[in-house]
Amino acid sequence: MIRLHALGKAYRVHGRMRAVLSGIEATFRPGEAVGILGRNGAGKTTLLRLIAGVEHPTSGWVERGMTVSWPLGFAGAMHYSITGADNARFIARIYGKPVAETVEFVDAFAELGEYYRMPARTYSHGMLTRLGFALSMAVDFDCYLVDEAVAAGDSRFATRCRDALEERRGRSAILFVSHVPDLLRQFCTSGAVLQDGRLTRYDDLDQAIAAYQPA
Amino acid sequence: MPEAPGAMPSGAARRPEPLTLRAAARVQRQVIGALLLRELSTRFGRENLGFLWLFLEPALLGGTIGLVHHLSGRGLPGGVDVLSFWVLGYIPFFLFRSVVNRAPVAIVSNQSLLYHRRITILDIMLARDLLEGAAVLGAMAVFVLAIGLATGTWPEQPAKLVLGMALMLVLAHGIGLLISAGSVYTEMFERITHMVTYLSLPILGSFFMVFWLPTEVQKMVLWMPTVHCFEIVRDGQFGSAVPTSYDVSYVLTCAALLNLFGLAALRKARRDMVV
Repeated sequence: MIRLHALGKAYRVHGRMRAVLSGIEATFRPGEAVGILGRNGAGKTTLLRLIAGVEHPTSGWVERGMTVSWPLGFAGAMHYSITGADNARFIARIYGKPVAETVEFVDAFAELGEYYRMPARTYSHGMLTRLGFALSMAVDFDCYLVDEAVAAGDSRFATRCRDALEERRGRSAILFVSHVPDLLRQFCTSGAVLQDGRLTRYDDLDQAIAAYQPA
Repeated sequence: MPEAPGAMPSGAARRPEPLTLRAAARVQRQVIGALLLRELSTRFGRENLGFLWLFLEPALLGGTIGLVHHLSGRGLPGGVDVLSFWVLGYIPFFLFRSVVNRAPVAIVSNQSLLYHRRITILDIMLARDLLEGAAVLGAMAVFVLAIGLATGTWPEQPAKLVLGMALMLVLAHGIGLLISAGSVYTEMFERITHMVTYLSLPILGSFFMVFWLPTEVQKMVLWMPTVHCFEIVRDGQFGSAVPTSYDVSYVLTCAALLNLFGLAALRKARRDMVV
């Protein structure tokens, strides 16, 4: 399970500290698929980055009782100068997975065709998203942090992502951030709203959607 | 509790995961191994001249200075072979410079790696610097071999060549940690590091021997830890042919302090950095 303890993050903007998140308390358990709603700029991405450990909180801390993926849907976790296959080899070595199997798995999942053996900098945005998602599936985390960008674009791949996440539902937790309530209905069972730097949990996704007023 | 922007993280000292030392060591080995392989292909891959340059630069620079001295007919005190003196003096500097000069961009150019929580900045720096050290040491071995074949003089104590280089690497690594941590806060390091390493060439100890200098000046230059490294290398190569002065424990103390402060600075920088 993942626990957020009085989690806060502030950034320096024009010389002054501006709080993005403050005093967030939350618990996420295995098997939960939580949709986190928030407007653009509400701090959804920041929250995922703190949970993933990409950035460190200004106050409070993240307790990780399970393995947590990097934030998916951003291109961040990859190398552009090397091929998709080399990225798969690198990830396999970093996370201690068998290299040959990982390369094969990612090839089949991401469906990049010939591009799999080309440098990632030649990929389209959609292809990068697919590679990133496939890499994270190969590592097999306990908890997946997913940005709405994964579901956008190519709808056939979005369906495959949903199926892959669905298939893991029993053992993995999923935190899915979006500003579009309809996307969350496809993926999630419970909800939360991120507003004014605070996170409010709802056991029922519809309650969360009702409480959320998109701008 | 109201949020205190800019305050130290209240629970940052707590490790959230129950991680045994053994498991942590395994993860670090895995990560550094993977980073080494990646670094090997990007830096010394077929497509660039990384490997070639490793040999060319000391050969060209050390060779040119040596040749000038050779032609001018001026020998070196102690009757040391001019060419091998300049080449061997340049190689430890080459190591120092490449480690320190790459430090200001070490984080920026590897930012995407920090999406993986397992990879720490220290891992990135260790992998880079270990590879650099191994590569330059390899180049040194080739030069020593060439010198031996050409002049018939072989290193008196080869282990001291390795020791001098290893100490230089640890010193440079510590300075590199400090610079990379500083680069999170200001771009100044990116601008001045190259210049400073070049300007400090005369005082680092590359192109003089301590015994050439007056006693007062000797005391001063021996405050520079790098001077000791060059002297150790010369002791290894020329042995009793020339007097050398160095203190291994002094270099170790300097290196330990630099690395300690470097680690502390990096720890703070990692918390403050925006990835």
